[in-house]
Amino acid sequence: MGAKQKGGGSKPKGNTADEVEETLQAVVLADTFEPRFEPFTLDKPRCLLPLANTPIIEYTLEFLANAGVEEVFLYAGAHSDLLEKYINASKWRASSSPFKQFNFLKSTSASVGDVMRDLDGKHLIAGDFIVVSGDVISNMPIEGALKQHRARREKDKNAIMTMVLREAGRNHRTKSSTVSPVFVIDPTKDRCLHYEEIDEHADNNHKRLNIDTEVILTHPELDIRQDLIDCSIDICTPDVLSLWSDSFDYQSPRKHYLFGVLKDYELNGKTIHTHIIKDDYAARVRNLKAYDAVSKDIISRWTYPLCPDTNLLPGHTYDLRKGNLYQEQGVTLARSCVIGRRTVIGKGTSIGDKTTVRNTVLGRNCKIGRNVKLEGAYLWDGVVIGDNTDINGAIIADGVVIGKNCKVAAGALLSYGVKIADGITVEAGTRITKSCRDGSESISDPSVVGADGEGREFIQGEDDDEDEDDISVASSGLVYQNPAASLSSASISTLSSDISDASWPRSARSSFSDGEEQDNFHHDATTSIFDSLRDGVSADVVQLELVSLRMTANASDVQVRRAIVASFMKHVQQLMEAGKNASEAVHQIFSTYREVVDRTLFDRAKQEKKDQVDLLIQLQQDLVHRNKGANILLFTAKELYDLELVDEEAYEQWWSDSRSSETEEMRNVRSQAQQFVEWLANAEEEESSEEESEEDDDEEESDEESDEE
Amino acid sequence: MPSTALALTPGLASFLKSLKTNPIDTSIENLVSLLKRRQIRHSRSCATATAYLLLRVVSACRTSESAKLIERVQSVGRRLMAAQPREMVVGNIVRRVLGLIRDEAEDDREAEFALSEAGSESQPQTPRAFDDSSLPLDRDMLSLRGEGAERSTSRPPLTSMFSLLSHPEPEHSLPSTPGTQSPNGRLFSPGQSKDVRAEVLEGINEIIDELGQVDDQIAAYALDHIHSNEIILTHTSSTTVQKFLLKAAAKRKFTVIIAESFPNNHEATHATISGTSLGDDENLTFDSFQKPLIAHGITVILIPDSAVFALMSRVNKVILGTHSVLANGGLVASAGTRVIARAAKVHQTPVVVVSGVYKLSPVYPFDFDSLIEYGDASKVLPYEDGDLVDKIDVQNPIYDYVPAELIDLYITNLGGHAPSYLYRIVSDHYRKEDISF
Repeated sequence: MGAKQKGGGSKPKGNTADEVEETLQAVVLADTFEPRFEPFTLDKPRCLLPLANTPIIEYTLEFLANAGVEEVFLYAGAHSDLLEKYINASKWRASSSPFKQFNFLKSTSASVGDVMRDLDGKHLIAGDFIVVSGDVISNMPIEGALKQHRARREKDKNAIMTMVLREAGRNHRTKSSTVSPVFVIDPTKDRCLHYEEIDEHADNNHKRLNIDTEVILTHPELDIRQDLIDCSIDICTPDVLSLWSDSFDYQSPRKHYLFGVLKDYELNGKTIHTHIIKDDYAARVRNLKAYDAVSKDIISRWTYPLCPDTNLLPGHTYDLRKGNLYQEQGVTLARSCVIGRRTVIGKGTSIGDKTTVRNTVLGRNCKIGRNVKLEGAYLWDGVVIGDNTDINGAIIADGVVIGKNCKVAAGALLSYGVKIADGITVEAGTRITKSCRDGSESISDPSVVGADGEGREFIQGEDDDEDEDDISVASSGLVYQNPAASLSSASISTLSSDISDASWPRSARSSFSDGEEQDNFHHDATTSIFDSLRDGVSADVVQLELVSLRMTANASDVQVRRAIVASFMKHVQQLMEAGKNASEAVHQIFSTYREVVDRTLFDRAKQEKKDQVDLLIQLQQDLVHRNKGANILLFTAKELYDLELVDEEAYEQWWSDSRSSETEEMRNVRSQAQQFVEWLANAEEEESSEEESEEDDDEEESDEESDEE
Repeated sequence: MPSTALALTPGLASFLKSLKTNPIDTSIENLVSLLKRRQIRHSRSCATATAYLLLRVVSACRTSESAKLIERVQSVGRRLMAAQPREMVVGNIVRRVLGLIRDEAEDDREAEFALSEAGSESQPQTPRAFDDSSLPLDRDMLSLRGEGAERSTSRPPLTSMFSLLSHPEPEHSLPSTPGTQSPNGRLFSPGQSKDVRAEVLEGINEIIDELGQVDDQIAAYALDHIHSNEIILTHTSSTTVQKFLLKAAAKRKFTVIIAESFPNNHEATHATISGTSLGDDENLTFDSFQKPLIAHGITVILIPDSAVFALMSRVNKVILGTHSVLANGGLVASAGTRVIARAAKVHQTPVVVVSGVYKLSPVYPFDFDSLIEYGDASKVLPYEDGDLVDKIDVQNPIYDYVPAELIDLYITNLGGHAPSYLYRIVSDHYRKEDISF
């Protein structure tokens, strides 16, 4: 390490003249959009949860500072206000911060993919940058990886990304025990050829790795590795972002992005490389099991120098004693208490007589009574524990009060402010919380917390029934005796199910009922089309994107139309806000992107114009919520007619369709269009001669469509 | 070239570079975090960084009152020491700077009374020669020096036989130097309360110079201690030891046995022996790497640490580097040193410790355990070994405490001293009031 640093350090001394220092940028994803830390994340963002009494984000930022990063973009997700407050008060925002720029970005994203696309839209990234999630703990000097990455990019523009992976043998506490990532690597070039996640708890039929024969045929040497900890430290070129943007359906950085980019190698020619480290520490606090493992690693000094006695936070005064015992100043220990190995005790904590504490992290200002047994527990700040209580392998959050003679079994999670009355036994794996997902105070459940207690059992996924099974099985990664506890599979399945299984039936259902329910396809497609409209991308490209998106999500035509309508109308409105009048705006969009709309209508030749009617109804529904909706509807109807997208019959059918006059609002919106429809009805007879030629055109078009299908 | 456009990884070099441009408080914070993150480690890097920082602090401190200056330096010093209490050199440098300021303040006061004394000191400073003939002259100078009252009263033991031998060279590079020069300036502006800062800055610069030269000064004693055909045992890749041996190797043939000091330093040790190394942080700012011992025709034998005892019977002399030296004559050095010292004791082999005076700390080690830093466990047991990692505690102490009775001689840039004599050097270098500030 010393030698490396010197190599990096002394070189610039000699040739400062001919170099322009490129600032190293880093993107920190503070929220990983996974529900793995519930119920704690109901009250606090996950990266502020204490890990060995220091917020997780501190370790990540420390790692970046170590790496010499000068510009940081921190993407906050949930509880961004809390995180912002914390960051603003921290040393990272002070003038002495090692980061020259610290940008706090709030986003409403629902996935890592959204964040990356947002980042691409903002054009903030200039050169190579590091992407880490906000829960990375590492003492690795990134120099080596960075150097390799740059050398590779020098030679080959298409080497867009280098992933840092830690070798970890077959069984390892820090490895994910549920989903094991498999990397297929060409060791001669360190190139990652294939990536797949294998669910350890799936039945054997599903434990399968599918490698392209092409990959095997073209590479004489292949490493198929399952022994790597993916610490989600990626060194990227700006191309990575544009690839994210191109593939609007990618959500997670590994399962979708990595897998997708590697799969599309033939198409885009981009390669992704690996940097496998053997010496230094790198891991992610990906779930509660990892929380436990990484805490142990920190206490056993595998993460040196990121240990409690380094006192990362100003005001910490930890001191290392024999047996990996870290103790802050101002701790009160009773004479007869036994403090065992691997323990961290924060300031102001007092421990009563005959209490035994082992393998435990105690935060600040905890009050531990007499004859208490703490083993492998994580107590955060201000926890009060009554006499004769037994706690074994649980996480107990700030301000929890546990009465006398209680038992808290392994894997129990007690969230902020919970009170457990005397003599209660908390079963293994129970999650008890006081706050609800929607922020309201919940009613206490005396059967769980006792008569004087506060809190109730937390059931994960209570508002989204599909995931419930998965996640409640995954109740706590802290529980070792329950091998089925599949925390990570829970969240991964959440992600994947949104894409493949869940979205299809749900959105089909929803698109008929109302436009409120959002699903992924709709969201992605709308954003993608809207962005293209805004950027003035040509109709072909929009169409192409839409088709591929439709294929991936297996979306119905109805959904596609809905997405088109939503995005077009959004854009129309934007143009109107910019000062255009409705007719101009509508004309501009529909004339340019006529083809896109056209490709969603397959009923030219039929008598019953189902698709066209649906389009009009969708329009109507969308415009209900928009400013000047009626006006826009009129012009849109006219424009669609002028562009020969919607036939006269369709207008009639639309008008008579019960859906279009269901509610008061719907009727209001279509009121202005009435004159147009009436005019159409009259004009129909007169223009019968012209219509024939139109019909010919229509037929040709529908032929084209059938070809494509 | 993008490869050279790499931003500096934080370390001593980047710190010194940024020192010029950053505001003081930023630099202080910067050094604190570098120390915490162990990006500046090794005694000398720490000492250099501290000295440069204090140079900035003193020069930016807009006060001519020494009391305020002392307060300021103390507060900065406290923060630095709290950041990494086990790097004792940081405290040492701070104490020396404090001593400088106090000396200057007292000089000022005294100068008003004893202006005439200054004349006798305009004599030029003895060049850095190591010939013993200059000794009497130096002694005269020392006793004549218009130093602080307390210092002069502490002089008498210097006349003892032992200190004569151990002071072939006066502490010319030490705080006293500004004392010899300041009167010159004062002659032209007598009576005026002078800004002590200029003098202090000069003093700090001298300390920085000292840090740069200390290895060469120590190496100058090499020929006195290493004789032809001796077998020398050493440990780690300490630059001080390497230079010491190299100096002797230029004139004499001997054999060197190096214990590889696994697991914290073996790579650097291997590299030092083969000469492929880029060196470590220690010689970062000072020297380009020199030819390894083998290039001088010296037989170098690399052994595992476990073989030390077996080979000790054949060894004529043990030469050790150190991390810091304590006031009681004991020392803190890289792990494995104590085993070597103990083995040497059993075989009655003399143990010589080479160390710059800047490593000498006035701290008395009441609690040895607290001096020892525990490092990265993965150097002992590979982290990949998941089954073991989960079940056992792995400890990797970086340092060892070696008690004074295992050491026969210290060689500093001031000469050779018995461990029992170190307390004198401590009181020469540090003011009593600064020992615990």
